[in-house]
Amino acid sequence: MWDSIEGFFSSGIVFNLTNYFFFLYGLALLSLYFAGVLLASRAIKKTKQKSTFLQVGDIVSATDIPTVTLVAPAYNEGLTIIENVKSLLSIQYPYYEFILVNDGSKDDSLEKLIKEFDLERHDASFITQPIPTATVRYIYRSRNKKYTHLTVIDKNNGGRADALNAGINFANTELVVCTDADCIIEQDALLKMVRPYLEEDEKEIIACGGGIGIANDSIVSNGVLKELKLPKSIVPMVQVVEYIRAFLLGRMAWGEINGLMLVSGAFGMYPRKRVLEVGGFNAKTVGEDLELCIRLRMHMENLKIPYKVVYLPETLCWTEGPPDYSILVKQRDRWARGLWETMSLHKKLFFNPRYRYMGILYYPYWLFFEFGAPLVEFFGLICIIAFGFFGWINWPVAILLFFAVYLLGCLFSTAAIFMYVKSFDHYTKPKQIIELLLAAYLEPFVYHPVIVYGQMLGYYKKIFKIKSGWGTMTRKGFSASGS
Amino acid sequence: MNEIILLGFIKFLILALVVYWVAIGISLIYRARRNYRLHKIEVTFADLVSRYLFNSVDAPLSIREINASLRQVGIKPGNPNNIQYLIRLLIRTQQSIIGSKNEKLNKLYAQIPPYGESVSKVNSWGWYRKARGIREIYEMNQHQYFDRIFKYRNHRNVYVRREAQIAMVVFRGWESLRFLSYLKRNMTLWQQIKIVEKLYDNYPKPELKWLRKAYKSERSFAKCLLMRIIRKFELHSEIDFILKHLFHPDYNLRETAIYCLGTFAVSSEHMDFIKKNYSKLPNSSQQALLLDYISENSELDVDFYLEQLYGPNEDLILNVAEILWNNGHKEKVQEFYLQQYPKATLNVG
Repeated sequence: MWDSIEGFFSSGIVFNLTNYFFFLYGLALLSLYFAGVLLASRAIKKTKQKSTFLQVGDIVSATDIPTVTLVAPAYNEGLTIIENVKSLLSIQYPYYEFILVNDGSKDDSLEKLIKEFDLERHDASFITQPIPTATVRYIYRSRNKKYTHLTVIDKNNGGRADALNAGINFANTELVVCTDADCIIEQDALLKMVRPYLEEDEKEIIACGGGIGIANDSIVSNGVLKELKLPKSIVPMVQVVEYIRAFLLGRMAWGEINGLMLVSGAFGMYPRKRVLEVGGFNAKTVGEDLELCIRLRMHMENLKIPYKVVYLPETLCWTEGPPDYSILVKQRDRWARGLWETMSLHKKLFFNPRYRYMGILYYPYWLFFEFGAPLVEFFGLICIIAFGFFGWINWPVAILLFFAVYLLGCLFSTAAIFMYVKSFDHYTKPKQIIELLLAAYLEPFVYHPVIVYGQMLGYYKKIFKIKSGWGTMTRKGFSASGS
Repeated sequence: MNEIILLGFIKFLILALVVYWVAIGISLIYRARRNYRLHKIEVTFADLVSRYLFNSVDAPLSIREINASLRQVGIKPGNPNNIQYLIRLLIRTQQSIIGSKNEKLNKLYAQIPPYGESVSKVNSWGWYRKARGIREIYEMNQHQYFDRIFKYRNHRNVYVRREAQIAMVVFRGWESLRFLSYLKRNMTLWQQIKIVEKLYDNYPKPELKWLRKAYKSERSFAKCLLMRIIRKFELHSEIDFILKHLFHPDYNLRETAIYCLGTFAVSSEHMDFIKKNYSKLPNSSQQALLLDYISENSELDVDFYLEQLYGPNEDLILNVAEILWNNGHKEKVQEFYLQQYPKATLNVG
C-alpha cells in the first residue's frame, strides 16, 4: 500500500484522519453545548417555579429545618481574616454554626482572632475524629455571647482538604457547607441552599452547589458585598463571563439530568452523614472537590440508594478571581493536576455499566471533553503548524472555519449572558452588559490560550512527576466601602 | 462549495448573535419599565391598605374607590403579570398583619379583583398554575374555596398535592390530621414543616383527640409529622409516642424521634427506658446524639457510661470518656486507657 514512510504521509491518510478527528470532536462538543443551553433554560425555569412554593421568608420562620455548619479553612490569611470571619458570621440561618479551621498558619491569624472575638482555649483531647486529620492543637470558643456560633479549630498544617475534614469531624449538624475563608457568601445563601434538602422526597440530595461569581474591584463593607462592580482588568473580567457560562449553562444543564460530578470547593453543601461514610475529602489530591463528589456518587451507587446532586442557578458566593496571568496559570495548572489525579483515581468508572450513567456517560464526558480538551487543542495547534509547513492547508477555508468556530463560541457566551441578565439583576446597566459581551468576544484571543497553557503545564508536571502543591494565590482583597 | 457553505453558516451565526443582542436590549428595557410599574403598584397598594384598615370616619374609603385606584395603576384583567404582583403583595400584607385587622383584610380580599385569578388558576391544567392558585387561596385565608382544593390532596404532582394538603390544615386545623392515614404519597420534609407551622399559627390550642386518632397511621411520614407536632406544641403528655419510635428500625423515624426528644426533659422512668435500650440503636451518629441528650438531661450514671466505654462502639469512646473526665471520674478514664496497653517485658541490656 505504502512503500515508505514518506509515501504513507504523502498519501493523505494522516491529513484526512486528523481532519475527521477534529471535525467529529468539535461536532460532539458543539452538540453537547447546544443541548446544554436547552437543558439549562429548562432547569432555570423549573428552579424559579419551585422557589415560589418555598420562599426564603418561610424557611427563616420555620423551626424544624436542618442544622447547618459552615466550615472554612484558613492558611496565612491574617491580613483579611477578621473581615472574612465577620462576613461569614453574618449569614442568615436560624440554626447555624461556623467553624474556622486555622490550618497551621505561620502568620498572626490566630492571635488576631483570639483578640477580636475574645476566644477562650479549650482542650482538644476528646475530639472524635471519624476522619483522620493532622493533629488538632486546641479548640477556641468565644466568651462573647454575640459569637456563640463561632468555633476556631487550631491544627497542624495538612492542606485544604485536611482542614475541611477537621471541621467536618467537629461539626454536629445534619448539613455541612464547605467554603473558603475569603469567600463572600450572600446573606440568604444557606436558606436557598437548604431548599433542595427540604423539598426532595424520592431521592437523597448528596451535594448541593450554588453559583459562584467574580467580585474583583467590587465594594465590600463589614464583610457584605455592597456594590457589585465589573473588574477593571481583562483577566478577571473574562472570568466573570467564564463563570456565568460554566455555572449557568454547564452546571445547570448537567444538574437537570442528574449528571453533576462536581460541586465547587468554594461553596458546596453536603449531608455530614454521607461525607463521614466516604471518609471525607481526599487530602492527597488538589482536586478534592471533584474527587469527593465522584466518591459520594459511587458510594450511593454501591448502596443502591437513589440520589441527586443539585445546583442552584443564583450566584450565592462571591470570590476574588486571579487578577493577572501568572496567578491564572497557577490556578489552572492546579485544577488540571486535580482533574488528572481524580480521573486516574476513579478510572474504574470508565464505561463501567455497574455505575450506570456515571460510568457510561458522565465519566467518559469528563475524560474526553474536560480532561481531553486542552490536549486536543494543543494537538490541533501542532497540526496547524505542521500541515501549514507541508502546504496542506486550504487557507481561505481554514480562515472561514476559524471565524465560524469563533462565532459559535461567541454565541454560547452571549446566550449565557442573556440568560443571566434575564434571570438575575446583578448586572443591569447597559454599560456593564456591553463590557461583558466585549470580554466574551475577546476571550479566545487574550484568555483562552493562557488557560490552555496552564492546563498543559499541569499535565506536564503530572507526566514528569514534578512535585507541586496548591501554590500561592496572591489576592488583592476587596475594596472597602468608602475607600 | 465549502466556502459557500461556511459563508452561509457564518451569516446564520451572525444573525443569531444579533437576535441575542436585541433580546438582551429588550430584556433590559422591559426590566426597567416593569420595575417602575411594580413600584407604582406597591406604593398605591400600601396607601390603599393603610387607609382601608385605619379608615377615616368622615370620608371612609369605599371598595369602589379601591378598585378604581387599582385599575388606574394597571390592575386589569388584561394585565395578568400586574395582577400576579398584586397577589404577592396581598399575601405579604396578610402574613404581616394579625388580629382584627387581619379579619378586615380578609373581607377586603374577597371583594377586590385579583382574587378570582387564584380560583381560575386552580382549575387550570398546568401544575405550576394550579399549585400557585391553591397557595394563594390558603395564604389569603379564603375558606369558601376549600371544596375546590380538597380533591387535589392526592394529586400526582408533588407541588399540587403539597399545597392542597397544607390548605387542608389551614382550613380544617387539627381535624385535618385524620386524613393522614388516607394520603397515598409521601410528604417531603418541607411539607411537614409547613404543616406544623401553619397549625401552630392558625390553631395554637392543641386538640389531642385528633392527634391521638392520627397515631393509628402506619405511614412513616405521618409518624414523623406527628412527632414534629408534639415537639412544636411541647405536648409533654404525648412523649410516649416519640419514645416509641426512638429505637425503630427506620433510620428517618429514629432521627426525627431523637431530634424531637431534645425539646423535652423526661421522667426518670423514661430515662431508664432510654438507657436500657440505648445499645439497640444501630447507628453510631444517632448513638452520639442520644448520648448528648442523656448526659444533658440526667444525673451522671457511672455504670451506664462505663458500659459504653467498654462497649463495642469505638466511635463513642471519646464522647463517653469526656463526660466521665469532666464529671470527676478521671481515674476511670485513665484506667480504661491504661488497660489497653499490653504488659510488655522490657529487654534492656
